[in-house]
Amino acid sequence: MDSKKPAPNNEPTLRDHVYDGIQEYDQKLPNWWLCTLYLAIAWFVIHWLCYYQLGLGSSDTFVIDKAMAEMQSARDKQMASITDEQLWALSRDAAAVEAGKATFMTPGMCVTCHGADLSGMLSGAKLPGLPLNDQEWKHGGKPTEIFKIVRKGSPDITKGMAAWELVLGMKRVSEVVAFVLSHHKEGEPVTRAADSPPLAAAK
Amino acid sequence: MTSTAASKVSIEFNDKVVRQFMVASIIFGVVAMLAGVFIASQLNYHQLNLAEWLTFGRLRPLHTNAAIFAFVGNMMFAGIYYSTQRLCKCRMGNDTLSAIHFWGWQAIIVAAAITLPMGLSRGKEYAELIWPINIAVAVIWVVFAVNFFLTLHKRNEPSLYVALWFYIATIVTVAMLYIVNHLSIPTSWTHSYGIFGGVQDGLVQWWYGHNAVAFFLTTPILGIMYYFLPKAAERPVYSYRLSIVHFWSLVFLYIWAGPHHLLNTALPKWLQMLGMFFSLMLWAPSWGGMLNGLLTLRGAWDKLRTDPVIKFFIAAVTFYGMCTFEGPLLSIRAVNSLSHYSDWTIGHVHSGALGWNGFMAAGMFYWLAPRLWNTKLYSVGMANFHFWIGTLGILLYVVAMWISGIMQGLMLNQVTADGLALKNTFLDTLQAIRPLMGLRIIGGGMFLVGWLVMCVNLWKTIRSGTPVNEVREVAVLQHGKTDTMGMKETFFNDPTACTFGAMLLIFGWIFLPPGADIASLICACIFGYLAVRRFQKTSHTWANWYDRLLVNYLPFTVLTFVAVVIGGLIQIIPTITVNSAKNVEDRVQKLYEPLELAGRDIYVSEGCYNCHSQMIRTLVPDVMRYGDYSRLGESIYDHPFQWGSKRTGPDLAREGGQRPDSWHYEHLMDPRSMSPQSNMPPYAHLNTKAFDQKTLPRKIAVLRQLGVPYPPMDATEIKMKALEQGVKIATELKKSNIVVRPDSEMVAVIAYLQKLGQFEQPQVEESLTKKGQGVPFPLGPVIPDNSRRADGSQ
Repeated sequence: MDSKKPAPNNEPTLRDHVYDGIQEYDQKLPNWWLCTLYLAIAWFVIHWLCYYQLGLGSSDTFVIDKAMAEMQSARDKQMASITDEQLWALSRDAAAVEAGKATFMTPGMCVTCHGADLSGMLSGAKLPGLPLNDQEWKHGGKPTEIFKIVRKGSPDITKGMAAWELVLGMKRVSEVVAFVLSHHKEGEPVTRAADSPPLAAAK
Repeated sequence: MTSTAASKVSIEFNDKVVRQFMVASIIFGVVAMLAGVFIASQLNYHQLNLAEWLTFGRLRPLHTNAAIFAFVGNMMFAGIYYSTQRLCKCRMGNDTLSAIHFWGWQAIIVAAAITLPMGLSRGKEYAELIWPINIAVAVIWVVFAVNFFLTLHKRNEPSLYVALWFYIATIVTVAMLYIVNHLSIPTSWTHSYGIFGGVQDGLVQWWYGHNAVAFFLTTPILGIMYYFLPKAAERPVYSYRLSIVHFWSLVFLYIWAGPHHLLNTALPKWLQMLGMFFSLMLWAPSWGGMLNGLLTLRGAWDKLRTDPVIKFFIAAVTFYGMCTFEGPLLSIRAVNSLSHYSDWTIGHVHSGALGWNGFMAAGMFYWLAPRLWNTKLYSVGMANFHFWIGTLGILLYVVAMWISGIMQGLMLNQVTADGLALKNTFLDTLQAIRPLMGLRIIGGGMFLVGWLVMCVNLWKTIRSGTPVNEVREVAVLQHGKTDTMGMKETFFNDPTACTFGAMLLIFGWIFLPPGADIASLICACIFGYLAVRRFQKTSHTWANWYDRLLVNYLPFTVLTFVAVVIGGLIQIIPTITVNSAKNVEDRVQKLYEPLELAGRDIYVSEGCYNCHSQMIRTLVPDVMRYGDYSRLGESIYDHPFQWGSKRTGPDLAREGGQRPDSWHYEHLMDPRSMSPQSNMPPYAHLNTKAFDQKTLPRKIAVLRQLGVPYPPMDATEIKMKALEQGVKIATELKKSNIVVRPDSEMVAVIAYLQKLGQFEQPQVEESLTKKGQGVPFPLGPVIPDNSRRADGSQ
């Protein structure tokens, strides 16, 4: 560089060009700064090499598919163990019913459509949900059938109830069912609604 | 260099246009910040969605566009017009162009302020303005560019100062980004469909969006810093060498970082990885700018106590450093899985917009006002008050957003003890962050108060002086040695040859088939080593070449353009070939029926994308909450894509078929009837308006032109189809005792929402023939994700 001044006593080199009164030193780049740049580049090269050339690490879809499959099998296992008798027993367990009631009454959940008294009515007006305190069950009145509706929603969820399993989780679903069942007796007569869809085997 | 000076002339700078831009920036700063405080309040107090045109969805684009284009835009022009004339020692290229630029830009801002609340929007962030305004922006930008380059052409200072490098990069790159991202086909005077769709649109949008931050909010402000900071500090710039390295690395690397807005989405992984790593590599170049700013003050730190200008500059540069450290951090895929779609990102952009842009603007205005009106600053005390309340405001804002973002992210990820269900509903998490959103209003409000104090202070300053245009004696430059560099000298020399050679080999490593890729990497290492050796031996010829380049503005501009164009080309071109239904191996989106399309356009125009994403990421909590992760093919017909960038409400990618029509009706009429404590604005006005039947045939024709495989339908057929579907929905709603017009916007939006997430499998032969073909043309790294899925994790 021809425009360098000799640096007197440790002063950095000052370029002699002046732009509207502004001058520039010509200092070496700080080492730590260069280090961060080099490290970032090295990280890029090493990471890319490991993933694409050496095949280390798994793809995102592989990881997520595996995680979800594991979760599903755990859920199925939980499901297999649930029976009508167990749910009736749970509906006589005060703690479970109380917990179910809390979930039921949470604003935005069951209470929104089925009403606080489970009648499906709010001060005379019909709510979107069906009454849960009578003996007519559109989708079947066996505890496991009710359980399935809460988990998966009605057969066509655009025309009925939403699926709650992922929102609530198995434990809270069973508590909610226990709360509903606590308004009923084991062995009471169950009728089906006029517009009931054909019954599928409850899983 | 003084030898080129032959005679002296007296030059009067065009300071009038600087004053105009400055005043405009101050006023639009108030507007942008007021809008910001208002929409922040709407998030906590839904009642503030006072009318259809005052809903959050419509005002948020107004806030962002006002902040970026009106406030920072005008500030940038003021700074550029002031400093360029002085650095070139000549008046701006052409006074008429300067005036057209100023008035044209303000007209665009007014047009934006009218159209955005009306719900006229293209539905892409920071690119919402409708196509006639887009054309106006492009034209005015070209006027600015011509004016600027004319100034460079007739300059009386041979060598280009670093501030001018940044201005050149800004002008060239913004033009490129803006034009490509706004390419669209009109369907009416106020509506158009962008030519890109789905993942392609996502990539182009964030290539644009991220670099709007880079080349609209960063590079011009860096240029302004390089001029005004040493002027105010009266100290030499810390390091010229650092300027060179950080300028070129910044403009080259920035362009690549766009995909970091799409991490963990359906975007091909190699693009996500490029986005992440280039963002990390960007950290050092960004900090180069900060260092050159901060270290310039060495030996002038005492001024920090007395001069408010220096205070603002130093705080601004510090916020820039903080922000550009946070940026790469947020680009790491693991961090991003928590931070993305949350308030953390909002805090991040505001530490840039308020801290870096806002304070640079304030510092510059305090410095300029006394000089442009030939007087003294009215009150240093008021300026100091502005500084402190502004700083506290930003800090409050940013800290609140950090906590809010991290807290909401963690809450959304929380699962029950058995790990099989989510612990919190989306509404739970919203309630948790409400106090923090309240703090944000206070923080933003404090910044606004500071700004208003500045308005008063500057108003008093201006009133005490009279506008003056600076006149200077300058030596006329004889254009013998400057601007003579040819193509050969520009491209065929050690620095460019070494850079391009190394780059080519690196790209070979990324894109070539197995074997050749490693060979290319090894060659790149050897080549790099040799290049460094060569540089050490002949560094003076490199330096001489660069000094020559600096006295040749056109070659400089060409090289800058080459540096910024590479990243975009490499990322976007392969994606354009990928994004056709034939190449999607997994799922293909079902076409929108006419009514659903009409509903979608209403969804876009209401700005629903400001709060609702349509992209379920490949992350366990996302899939648990919203359903199966989104595939690339599930949005390929979406013009524009609606993946979103913030979840103020839940994701809607698979909303279709989840709830009854009546639920959607009630929810749109009054969100709180179905989702208690929701902060969504009510959309009862959809019920009173009929959807736009007239333009539907034209819209479908345009989409066909863009490659969406609609069967041929005539106008009557399209309208009939739309109405039939509307009647169906209205009949369904009737069952729940809800009466709606079958041609209402409400019905169209419900139809659209119920369609979301529907897909079909592409034909089997196509997906079969795709396998085992070796390297397909859509270039991508050689191990696609799917082959890995087959043999499992290693």
